[in-house]
Amino acid sequence: MADRPVLEVHDLHVTFRTEGGLVPAVAGIDFAVAPGKTLAIVGESGSGKSVSSAAVMGLLPSNADVKGEVLLDGRELVGLPNDELRKIRGNDIALVFQDALSALNPYYSVGWQVAEAYRLHHDVSKKEALERAVRMLDLVGIPAAKARAKDYPHEFSGGMRQRVVIAMALVNDPKVLIADEPTTALDVTVQAQIMRLLEDVQTEFGTALVLISHDLGVVAEVADDVLVMYAGRAAEHGSVKDLFYRAAHPYSLGLLGAMPRVDVPPRHRLTTIPGSPPSPGSVKTGCPFQPRCAYTERVGERCITERPELTPRPGEGNHEAACHLGRRPEVAP
Amino acid sequence: MTEASSKSATPKDELLRLDGVKKYFGLGTAPWQRSQSVKAVDGIDFVVRRGETVGLVGESGSGKSTLARLSTRLLDPTAGKVSIGGQDVTKWRGRRLRPVRRKIQMVFQDPQASLNPRQSVGTILTTPFRAQGIRPTRAQLVELLSQVGLSEEHLERYPHEFSGGQRQRIGIARALAVKPDLLVCDEPVSALDVSVQAQVLNLLADLKDELGLSYVLVAHDLAVVRQVADRLAVMYLGTIVEEGPAAEVYSSPAHPYTRALLSAVPVPEPGAVRDRIVLTGDVPTPIDPPSGCPFRTRCYKAEDVCATTRPVLEPVAGGDHRAACYFPEAPLELSNPPLSERTQ
Repeated sequence: MADRPVLEVHDLHVTFRTEGGLVPAVAGIDFAVAPGKTLAIVGESGSGKSVSSAAVMGLLPSNADVKGEVLLDGRELVGLPNDELRKIRGNDIALVFQDALSALNPYYSVGWQVAEAYRLHHDVSKKEALERAVRMLDLVGIPAAKARAKDYPHEFSGGMRQRVVIAMALVNDPKVLIADEPTTALDVTVQAQIMRLLEDVQTEFGTALVLISHDLGVVAEVADDVLVMYAGRAAEHGSVKDLFYRAAHPYSLGLLGAMPRVDVPPRHRLTTIPGSPPSPGSVKTGCPFQPRCAYTERVGERCITERPELTPRPGEGNHEAACHLGRRPEVAP
Repeated sequence: MTEASSKSATPKDELLRLDGVKKYFGLGTAPWQRSQSVKAVDGIDFVVRRGETVGLVGESGSGKSTLARLSTRLLDPTAGKVSIGGQDVTKWRGRRLRPVRRKIQMVFQDPQASLNPRQSVGTILTTPFRAQGIRPTRAQLVELLSQVGLSEEHLERYPHEFSGGQRQRIGIARALAVKPDLLVCDEPVSALDVSVQAQVLNLLADLKDELGLSYVLVAHDLAVVRQVADRLAVMYLGTIVEEGPAAEVYSSPAHPYTRALLSAVPVPEPGAVRDRIVLTGDVPTPIDPPSGCPFRTRCYKAEDVCATTRPVLEPVAGGDHRAACYFPEAPLELSNPPLSERTQ
C-alpha cells in the first residue's frame, strides 16, 4: 500500500453481554484501507464481518463491549462520546446497508432524506441542501433526479433505492464508505450497475471502501485486499490475487472450491466443507476451523490445543494466514 | 401412478408439460383495479423429460416462481394446459390431485418458513405419507433421513435445533417421502452459506443418480444452475426468451438478454478482463409490459420491428436451442471470445 491508510483497525474485539453469558463475536482482527482502495471482508454467517463494521461505526447496541483501536485519519474512534461520534458518522465515514428499503424512511421523500443527511453536518438552508441532494441523486444515476427527489422510497425499484442509499452515504464526501452486502438483495444485472457506480465514485472522490460480502465473485472484481473471517477471527489476509491464486488457509480454499462458477463447464461435484460454521464463541481452544478442516490430521494435536495466529507467508508480501499447516494446502480436500 | 399415461399420446418420458400457460393476478376489486392484472406468466410452453434437470433462471419478477407453482398445481393457470405424467390435470382440484402430488413435489426456498416449528422432524416427514393415506414405519422415516445425510437421532428433534443446511435437507426429505419422479426446487440454496450451498447441490446431484429423479431448479444464481442443469430456460417478464441444452446456452447465448445476464455474473478471477454488457434501467412492470418483445426497452439491439410483434421461440443453429429474438447473436465458436467480435 503506497498511501497511508485512512482507516486502521487494530486488535478489534467485540463481546456481547447476553443472558447466556459473554459471546465473543469478534476476537481480535486488524485491517487497514487506503484512500481509493477497496478492502473486502469475506465470511459466512456468524463470522463477525457485519459486527466488525458496526463496531467501526460505533453502531453496536449497549450490551456490546468494543476493545481495540479504530483509527480514522489517525484519530481514535473507540471510546469517543456519542455526540463526537455523531459528527464523524455519516460525515467522514458512512455506511451502506444491504436492505435499502429498511434503511429509508417511508414517510419522507428521498430528496428530503438525502438533504437531511447533508444538513446534519453542514450549516446550510433547506433549499441548498435539497439542491445538493438532487446533485447526488443525479450522480448516482437516478434519471430525472430533480423530479424523482420528490418521490417516496416505495416508488423506486430495488436497484434505484440502493442508489438513493448510496447517494445519502456520499452526500458529505466521506473518506471511508462501508458497504455491508450492498448488492445481495439485487438482481445480477442491477448488481453490475451498482458495483460499477461504487467504482466510479472511488475513482472520482478517492473514497476508501470496506466491502462486506459473502460473494467471492464480487470480491474478485472490486477488491484490492481481502480479509477472510471465520468465527470472529481472521483466517487469511492478503491481496485479492493472494487469496484467489495463492490461498493459504484451508477455509479460504474450501470456500473457493465450494463456489459454483458461471464461466466454466460444471464439475462432477463441487468440493464441500463438511459441517456448518460454528456459532460465535463455541470454539474455546485451538483453531476454530479445526472441526471442519481436512488438514487437521496431518498437523495433529496442535490444531486442537493451540490457536493459530496470523503469520506472514514468506516471500509473499502482505499475505498472512492463521494456520498451523506450514505449507500451502493443495487442492481443496 | 397406475392410472396415468393410459390414454395419452404424449411420450411416456414427459413428466411435465405446460402448453400456452398464463397466470394473471388481479390487482384488487376496486373499480380502477379491475381492468388491470399482473401478467406473471404470459404464455409459456415448457417440458420436463424423465431424468433431466431443467434450470429456470431469471431476475426477480420474471415469473419463475409462479411457473414453479403452476407446474406443481399449487396455482391454477388463467389459461393454457398443465399435463403431468402425460395426463391433462389443468382442471383437477383437491382430492383428485393427490395421485399427481405423488409424482411431483416441491422444495421451497426458506427452510425456516416451510417447516412447522412445533412439529418434530418425525411428524413433518409423516405428513406427506398421511396425505396419501399411508402410515409410514419408523424404518421408512429413517431411510428418508439417511437419503439426505441425516440419521435416526434427528427424528425426535425440532426444526430450530438444526442449521439452515440441515433444515433444507429436511425439506428435501419431506419432498422425497412419496417417491416423486420430479422435484420442483424453488431457490433451494439461496438462503444458505456458500460452503453449505455446495453440500446441498451435491446432495441433489447424488439423489438424481440414486433415485433417477428429475428436477426443475428455479434460481436467480446462474452459477448454481450451471453446476446442475442439463437444460436451461431463461425467463423475462413472464415469458421464456431462450431455452436449450445448458452447455450450449451458457457457452453460446443467443438472446441479448441471456448474454447480458451471463456477462453480469461476477467471476472469481481477479484481474480478468471481461466485456460486460451493463443493461440500463430496470425490468418493466408486468402490469403493463412493453409491446412486442418484452426485453426491447433495455435491449442493445432493439429495432422498430421489436416493438410490433412479440418474437416466438425459434431454433438457433439448429437442434434444441431456441431463442425468441429477431436478432439473435451468432453462435460462438470459441468457448469465451470477446463480445466485441460478435457479428450481426
